[in-house]
Amino acid sequence: MSKLEAKGLCKAFGGVQAIQDFSFTVDDRQIVGIIGPNGAGKTTAFNLLTGVYPIDAGEVFLDGKLISGLPQHEITQRGLARTFQNIRLFKGLNLIENVMTAADPYSSYNLADVFLFSRRKRNREKEVRDMSRSFLELVGLSGLENEKPENLPYGLQRKLELARALASKPKVLLLDEPAAGLNPSEVQEFIQLVQRLHDQFDLSVLVIEHRMEVIMTLCANIYVLNFGKLLAHGTPAEIQNNRDVTTAYIGEEDEACLL
Amino acid sequence: MEYIITILTFTGITLIGVLGSYMVTGLTGLFSFGQAAFFSVGAYTAAVLVKDFATPFPLAVVAAMSAGLVAGMIVGYPTVRLRRDYISLVTFGFGEAIIALLNNSTNLTGGAMGLSGIPRYTSFWVVWLSVAVCLTIVAGYKYSKYGRQCLALRSDELAAKAMGINVNRVKLVTFLFAAAMTSYAGVLYAFYTTYVEPGSFGWIVSAEWIIIVFVGGINSLTGSVFATFLLTGLPEMLRFASEWRIAIYCVIVLLIINFRPVGIFGEFELSYKWLRQLGKKGAKAA
Repeated sequence: MSKLEAKGLCKAFGGVQAIQDFSFTVDDRQIVGIIGPNGAGKTTAFNLLTGVYPIDAGEVFLDGKLISGLPQHEITQRGLARTFQNIRLFKGLNLIENVMTAADPYSSYNLADVFLFSRRKRNREKEVRDMSRSFLELVGLSGLENEKPENLPYGLQRKLELARALASKPKVLLLDEPAAGLNPSEVQEFIQLVQRLHDQFDLSVLVIEHRMEVIMTLCANIYVLNFGKLLAHGTPAEIQNNRDVTTAYIGEEDEACLL
Repeated sequence: MEYIITILTFTGITLIGVLGSYMVTGLTGLFSFGQAAFFSVGAYTAAVLVKDFATPFPLAVVAAMSAGLVAGMIVGYPTVRLRRDYISLVTFGFGEAIIALLNNSTNLTGGAMGLSGIPRYTSFWVVWLSVAVCLTIVAGYKYSKYGRQCLALRSDELAAKAMGINVNRVKLVTFLFAAAMTSYAGVLYAFYTTYVEPGSFGWIVSAEWIIIVFVGGINSLTGSVFATFLLTGLPEMLRFASEWRIAIYCVIVLLIINFRPVGIFGEFELSYKWLRQLGKKGAKAA
């Protein structure tokens, strides 16, 4: 059964067709990859799915329900969480508070509880804090709760973004170049982490990545975008042997060079 | 002695206004140059109700805060959708519009002549009790999901939305909360000075409150309280220097902003935990 489905997405910025008639499905508990050269429209696709930009044409369904057109925060609350290509953590908050903000929209207390310092507020706050702590532990950031995110090395910031996305209780997780800027051993560790989280939370994952080892190990299904259009779609093996894809990435073989 | 008590009372009233600015500008990052307008809305509503309509004081307080909420809704509802720089423009315009309104509706407000003969219902103790209550509530707000969401959206609005935070709602709630509190401060002011005039609620007052928040430390409630004492007390302490005192005041503010851009306290908060740790350190050193 398809968890996330996009039908005929289109988006133009002025005269540039950033995305043209892009359709895909992510099945339940499946990890799907989107690859493509720079400027192919991968991140734009994510921004359309999560409601950052309005969609020109097309529809997005999550669990069979239409989510395109909803405000961003509602799409997230329906179960679509994301991380960002250029890490976007909350600088004024420490690590655990960063994770807590993602869980807060589900925390059921109101302003009256705040003004009266009610027990309900205290209990809910404690629940959210404990839960956030467990997410930090899960990605391997325990003990750093009170640090500021900007003081963390790059690799750990990526993990924090992951923990924060998980705290919003997603059904489908969108990862935008999660391995960018990581060294080879960190990439391996990251692949294992995503695999583990996927198993543990029964997550469906959609991942954009340039590092082929990530895509080829994790993904069951790959979509290739080029200039906003779907170029190819298939299993890792199929994509690796697809002539169009290699052409788009490395260019055509010049007959003259073969002589 | 009476002089000192008067100064301290005014400091307390200013502090409540500053707390409003702290919430809107410090916590949420919206530059509101119209906070003082809410102050005037509260002051005038309560004063007119008590003077002209013989409303009981507690009822007038409730009415004044409600008027503040309504005014906050009128400005806040459309502006929270705007980009940050436009918010300052709209709130600035709103503030000046309120002053113009007060100046021109002479029948009700006395216009530029002001409104005098307001009974004196507030005292040093009433003001400082109110300060204590407001401080506690604001601290509670900061350390709740609301405060966290404010800080989150101040730091990165797009990411906040992507984490499921209803950014516009959080901004509006904070703005309204600050508006109601500032209106209350206005009531305290009117019933302490017994005289209000539109000229004392202009954007300069709003700007002064924002300066206080920034000097104290943008994220720090402790800083706001400290800076209120420093910057409202300072002009009084410098009274001996007569015409130089404003210049000295400005130089001090400039020095702080230049050499400590995060404000005196930065993000530091005075807390029980910190005091205990300090105590432990002190014991070790001794």
